[in-house]
Parts: sequence; C-alpha cells; structure tokens
Amino acid sequence: MTEYPVRRNPVRIIAVVSVVVIFVVAAYASVTWWRPRFVVYTYSSFLDWGDEGADVVIQRAFAPFEEKYGVDIDIILLDVDANGIISKLVAESANPVADVVIGIDNILILQEAAQNVLEPYISPNLDLINDTFIDLLDPNHYLTPFDFGLVSLIYSTTTINTTTHPQLENLTFSDLAETDLAAGLVTENPHFSSPGLAFLLSQIAVYDGILNQDWTTWWETVKADIDVQEGWSQAWSVWSGDPTKHLLVSYGTDPAYSANYLGTAPDTAVAPFVYNEESWAWMQVEGVGLVKNGPNPELGKAFIDYCLNTTVQMEIPFNQWMFPVRTDLTLPSVYQYAIHPNEVSVLNQLLSSSVISSNLSNWLDLWDATRTP
Amino acid sequence: MNSKAIPKYTALAFPFLLLVVFLLYPVGTAILQGMSSGTQLLDVFVEPNTRFIIQFTFSQAFLSTLFAVTLGLPGAFLIARLRFRGRSIVRAMMIVPFVLPPIVVVVGFLQMFGSNGVIDSILMWILGSDSSVFNLATGIPGIILAHTFYNVPLVLLMVSASLERLNPELEETAEILGANSFQRLRRITLPHIMPSVLASAVLTFMFCFMSFPIVLAFGQGTYMTIEAQIWNAFRIFDYGQASALTLVQIVITLALASVYIRLGRDKNETGRTASIRTTSFSKYNLKEKVLIVAYLILVIVVVLGPIVTIVRASIFDPIAKKYTLEGFANLFTFGSQGGLNYLVNSVFYAGLATIFAVVLGIPLAIAMRNRSTAIRNVASSLILLPLGISSITVAYGLVLAIAVPIGLVTNPWPIIVVAQTIIGLPFSARAIEIAMSKIDPEILDQADSLGASRIQRLLYVELPLLAPGILVGGVFAFAMAIGEMSATLLIALPQNYTLAVAIYDYLAVRDFVEAGAAALVLVMVCIIAFLVMERVSEGSAGGAL
Repeated sequence: MTEYPVRRNPVRIIAVVSVVVIFVVAAYASVTWWRPRFVVYTYSSFLDWGDEGADVVIQRAFAPFEEKYGVDIDIILLDVDANGIISKLVAESANPVADVVIGIDNILILQEAAQNVLEPYISPNLDLINDTFIDLLDPNHYLTPFDFGLVSLIYSTTTINTTTHPQLENLTFSDLAETDLAAGLVTENPHFSSPGLAFLLSQIAVYDGILNQDWTTWWETVKADIDVQEGWSQAWSVWSGDPTKHLLVSYGTDPAYSANYLGTAPDTAVAPFVYNEESWAWMQVEGVGLVKNGPNPELGKAFIDYCLNTTVQMEIPFNQWMFPVRTDLTLPSVYQYAIHPNEVSVLNQLLSSSVISSNLSNWLDLWDATRTP
Repeated sequence: MNSKAIPKYTALAFPFLLLVVFLLYPVGTAILQGMSSGTQLLDVFVEPNTRFIIQFTFSQAFLSTLFAVTLGLPGAFLIARLRFRGRSIVRAMMIVPFVLPPIVVVVGFLQMFGSNGVIDSILMWILGSDSSVFNLATGIPGIILAHTFYNVPLVLLMVSASLERLNPELEETAEILGANSFQRLRRITLPHIMPSVLASAVLTFMFCFMSFPIVLAFGQGTYMTIEAQIWNAFRIFDYGQASALTLVQIVITLALASVYIRLGRDKNETGRTASIRTTSFSKYNLKEKVLIVAYLILVIVVVLGPIVTIVRASIFDPIAKKYTLEGFANLFTFGSQGGLNYLVNSVFYAGLATIFAVVLGIPLAIAMRNRSTAIRNVASSLILLPLGISSITVAYGLVLAIAVPIGLVTNPWPIIVVAQTIIGLPFSARAIEIAMSKIDPEILDQADSLGASRIQRLLYVELPLLAPGILVGGVFAFAMAIGEMSATLLIALPQNYTLAVAIYDYLAVRDFVEAGAAALVLVMVCIIAFLVMERVSEGSAGGAL
C-alpha cells in the first residue's frame, strides 16, 4: 500500500513563525527601547583616552548634572569625525533629537552648514575662561569653547631622532617633502578629519602667509610618498603599527600621553614647523554648541554652562589629552612633556576666519585635485 | 473588475505600495534635497575630481570584466566538456562567492595577497627576507583582483550553462562535413555562446560599476567608484554632488540592465540537452593537460584561496606576527564594544529582513507571472530597482524621509531592517518566481475544479509546492542582508553595528584578528546558507542570479 506524505498544515507553520517573530522582535525592541532623554552628540573617542575608559569618566563628569536637573543624559558617541556629526545634524534638522553637540572646532564652524544647525548662546560661565579662546573659536557664539590643542607633527623617537634627522629640530615643509621624511608621514583626510584639516590649513598658512608661494606645489611634490588616512584613529594605528611610518599629524600633547602610558620619559616627540626662527603650530579649539530647534533648549544651555565647570574640565587632560579651556586648572605633571601654547606662535593668526570661510571649499577642491592620480 | 478580484489586487498592490513608500519616496526625497541645495547639478561634472571618479569607475569595471571573462571562459569550457569526478560539486561551489559579503572578501584578499599574507609569507621565507615583499591587496590591483574573484564564477556558470544547451548533433554534423576543431569553434560554438558571454560580461560590469566595500577598503581614499563618492558626499554634506552622482549611476545601471534583459531574451531557454559531448581528462594530450592543470591552479588560488585563508586571518596577527585567539574572544564579549553585540544585531536584522523579503517576494513573484504585460513589467522593474539605485542613497533617503520625521534616529534599527529587506528582495522574488514557473498549471486547475477556494488553493497547493523556492529565496535574501554593509554603515549608530560593518571598522584601525574572526563567522553562515540552498533546490540555485 502506498503511503501518502503527511500534509503539514501551512496555517500552523505560519502561525508558529509569526508568534516566534513577534516574541523576538518584542524582546529586542524592549531591550533597545529608547525613551526620550537629554541627547548629546559627540565623536566616538570622547573622553576615551584615559586608563578608566569613557563610560566611567563620563559618568563621573556628568552625573552631578543629571542629579541636579533630574534628567538622564544620553551621550551618543558617533563613529565619525567632527564633520560627520555636522552632516548628521543637517540630515536631522527637520526634527532634531540632539540638544547639544560637542566637538565641532574652530575651522568646521566656519562652514555655513554648521552654523545653520546651531543656535548661538552666550554662556554666563564664559567669564571663567580666557577671551582668546572665544575669539579663536567663534566670536558669534554658535560654539562655546570646551578644550583646545596644538596640531603638530609628532614622531616616534624609537625609529628616528634629531641625530639621525637633524632637520627635525628646525622642520620646514620643504624638509618634509624630501622622500626620506615624506615616505614616513601619515596624515588625515581634511574632508573627514579635523586634525587633517588643521594640517592642510597650517600648510596653506605657511605657504600663503610666510613664504608667499603656491601651496598646492607642496602637495604635488609629496603626492606619491605620504600616507593619507581617513581619520585620526586610522592614522594613529598605521603610525603606531608600521615601523616605516615615523611621523604623524597629531597633537602636541602626545608626548605627555606617551609618558603617562610608559611611566617613564616619553618615546614620542613633537616637531613643530620652524620659520623665521619661530616655532609654529595650529591651535584647534573644540566647542560645545546648542542644537537649533533641539527638544530641550533650556536644559541645553544649562549643560553648556556646566561644561565649563571644574567637574568636567578636570577630566580633559587625562582622558581627552587636550588642554582644558579653564586655564586656571593645574595640569598633570606629565604635561611638562607637551608643547604649550606659549612655546609656539599659532598659525591661525596668518589666516583670518573670513578668508577661511570664503575659501575652504575651494581649497578642499584644489587639495582633491592634488590627490587625483 | 469583479468582487473576487479585489483581494487579489490588494495583495498585489501591497508590495508595490511598500516599495513606493520605502524606496521611491526616500530616494526621491534625497535626490530633491540635493537638487535644491544650491549647487547646479551639471557643475558637479566640471570638477576634475568628479570626472576622475567617473572615469575610474568605468575603467576599473571594464578591466575587471575583461579579467573575469578571460579567466572564466576556459573554465566554462572545462566544466561543460571535461568529465571528472566531483564536477557537480565544483559547479555548486561556484555559487559560494555570490553569497560571500564583499567586506569578507576584503579580509580574505588581505590575507591571501596582502603584505604578511600567505603568498607574501611564502615569498619572504624563500627570499629569507624580514620585511614584506609582496602586496597585491591594495590600490588598483586589489580592486580588480577582488572583482575578478567575484565574477569569474558568474561567467563560468552562465557560459557553461549555455554550452550545455548546444545541440551535439550540430557539432557532429560539422565534423562529418570536414570542419576542423578551430572552424567548429568559430562557426558553431562561439556564435552559440556569444549571448551568454555578453550577458555575463554586462552583469559583471554592472556589479563592478556599483562596487562599494571593496573599493572603499582597497582604494584608500585615492581610488573611488561613484558609489564610494556618494558616501563621501553625504558625509561632507555636499548634497548636490550626491544627487548628481546618484542620477548618473541610475541612468547607467538602467541602461546596462536593459541590455542585459535584451540579451537574456535571445537566449534559447528551451534547448535543454543533457547529451552534451564530454571528454575525460585522459583523452587530452600532455600539453593540454599541463594547460588545464595550470588553469585550475590559477582559479583555485584566485577563487578558493581568499576563502580558505580567512581561517588564518582569524588567528594570525600580522602586526605582532603571532597566532592568537583574541579575535574569537572579542566575538564572545558582550558590552558596548564587544563582538557578541554585533553578532546578535547581524542575525536579528538579517532574520527579520529575510521574513519581510519572502512575504513581499511572494506577491511580487505572482505579479511577475500576471497575464497583464503592464503588471509584469512594473513588477520586474520594481525588483530590479534596488540593484540599480545606490544603496547609500537609499539609506540616506530612509534616514531623511522616514527616520527623522518619526523620531527613529536615536534607535534606527527598524530602518536598517527596511534597508536590508530592500537589498534582499530582488533575490527572494526571483527565486520564488522560478519556483512558480515550475508548478504544473494542471494541478492548480484540478484544485479549482475540485472546488478549492482561492485561499485554500494558495495555502494547501501553491505554498507547499513553492516551499523549496521560498526557502531558497529566503536563504539568498538572508545571505545578502547579513553581508550588507553600505546602507547599514550609513544608518547605524555604534550600538546597531552588524558584523559586516564591524569588520570594516576593525580593518580601518588595523584590528586584523578581530576582523578575521568576524569574517570567518560570516563565511560560515554564508556557506551554511549555500548548503541549504543547494540541498533544497537540487543544484539549480544559480538560476536566481
């Protein structure tokens, strides 16, 4: 006798699948459920360079604010560089969820798009900081200064030093264009990375403001030799992992970081550019800004004021490896290895903000052209 | 229209409506935003950088196609003509690269052809060198080699299928009439396989033209396809450029798609011949044997090598030059930076996307077999759209037009599921449609004459008959969704990262073992998916391409 195959009821199968799916979706949704909170956008490495890690530090720095105002702060670490934060804010401008943004710097704020997504705010706590930072960052108060650093070249003293390469002591861009050094240089794409953009503007400032030469020729010369990574984290990992990469566009505080990490003298040194017997570096000031049409503007303003308190500012040196804008705070002793603003002339003075804002997109196009094979 | 037809048309209209809401409307919004951003679209093409990118997109696609066809053709002849054990296994294995996510292929390539990779390590050992001497996994060679890897199997499968349909009597007649083997090749074989060669070339060109993760990883910001530049344009809020490039891309892919469909029509679909002439390996002379073996080695190195070496990538740290299990340890770490989170996300999003792709794929497949030509055409072009529109633009559109207005941006996982559904839909719908075409219409007529209602017929006759097709379609959609990187990368916040996105992230900061271990997991998932597909469809899964 032939046996017929058992006919499974598809209705039952469909019902079982639906029940399982609904259950799983409900579970995932409830675990990840997002209730409205006070939202801060920042970049992924925010306060993440200390021994304790960002979670602990952020908790310590901002818990008093949460307690005082009875809110939950949701610091959303976006895995992008600062320009990526602006583009996210632009995309969300019709219905913003973020209240405050940390990490837009003194170059990026000059773009119209950045100003369009922020609301100017003059914090009463500005009295606590030096006016130079306000002038340097944003006299229009779209941003309030948060921290600052000197963008410069750093090198690893385990692979090169001033004996093997005496030019490091009086470094100029033409020294750097020699194949020997250029092949060891790692920098960042100025479209996506704020130190990368600061380096491009440093170079333009020197060629335009000091040498009176066409800046693009330098990039043409080093085109085949230098390594342009997308962002600072990528550049750092190439520089630290590849022994043929000696130089990195980074911050003047890196020797302090190195000394703290090693517990001895640092194995990282800074090579600022030297012209007219002066050392030069670009000063980057990062700000905190109020998102235009954000859900909690009053809380946002209170948060900006709070960012200038010692509770937050004292976390910056060890966890952000930048200088706090509260210059009245005592810096950790390893900061003796960092280059300080009084040791260099800032290149920013050679390029006015109006010149930058009217030329930036053109400069970036020209830079693209120098990178086109 | 009678009252009985209303539920039927509602069912058919449902996927159309969803595609309009979740594909056309978002993409339209994104493009319009760019057009109203103040930039003149045509100005974009004057920029030397954009022109270089468009030029490069074409030339790399052309070169990759040339390589893939050159390397694939001999294989097609071998597969069709050479009798050897395990032929069906070899043929089945050729589908594996299609289900492998591009970012996984990048990991495999770095390990096979990159510095400190397998070939490099062997050369370093032979030359007694301490530093890396060989690196093909970067720049133009990396891009073209990876594209070749992806598309050799495509050429091979399509052309060998066509060769097998060549009626052996034609060749025998020619032989009797005194044609030598070259004449037979030129006059009979080549004209017969030409449409399939062209079709596979067009398809290869289209895939390479749209390539994103491979170009992102190997191009290192210098070499970019249009798709990669669209991604950049959104990140630097140059919406005008993004819109212009999206439009260019759509025009070109639609042109390629129409060429492909036209070539497909010429194909002699009915000529199935199992009686193809095959030769055993021993019949060849020594020179031919050497050539065949050399060819096989080349194909194994290029196609199989990168897959196998992912195992090494998962345990060998090229920076510290030591073997480690840290990559796997990371995969089982929970928490904000742990790999387990990414694994759960990957499976959850892809699983949901698969269910949606199947549920929507069934009515779409029914629509593709509708009596009305208009409905048929609309359905077939709708399912082609996700293949031709930049997934970056789709993702950005979804964020702009769906996630922002309803406040999903802080927890955008439903949007990721939508994007992955759209990516998987063409594959599920096509596989289900193929299964439908194999249903004997008489069985359905019998159900009707025995008095089954429409719903009874669907549940108890059609669905059980379609079950294998639905499973194949589902598995295909799952493989596409779990490997999807571009749209997910744009939408996801760090807590929404999937393994594919995490691999890209790990590679960027040179966490090579973490990337390798994650890639190995994806390879395993995709190979299991492939095995399921093979079993269920009895070897005809390639037809869904």
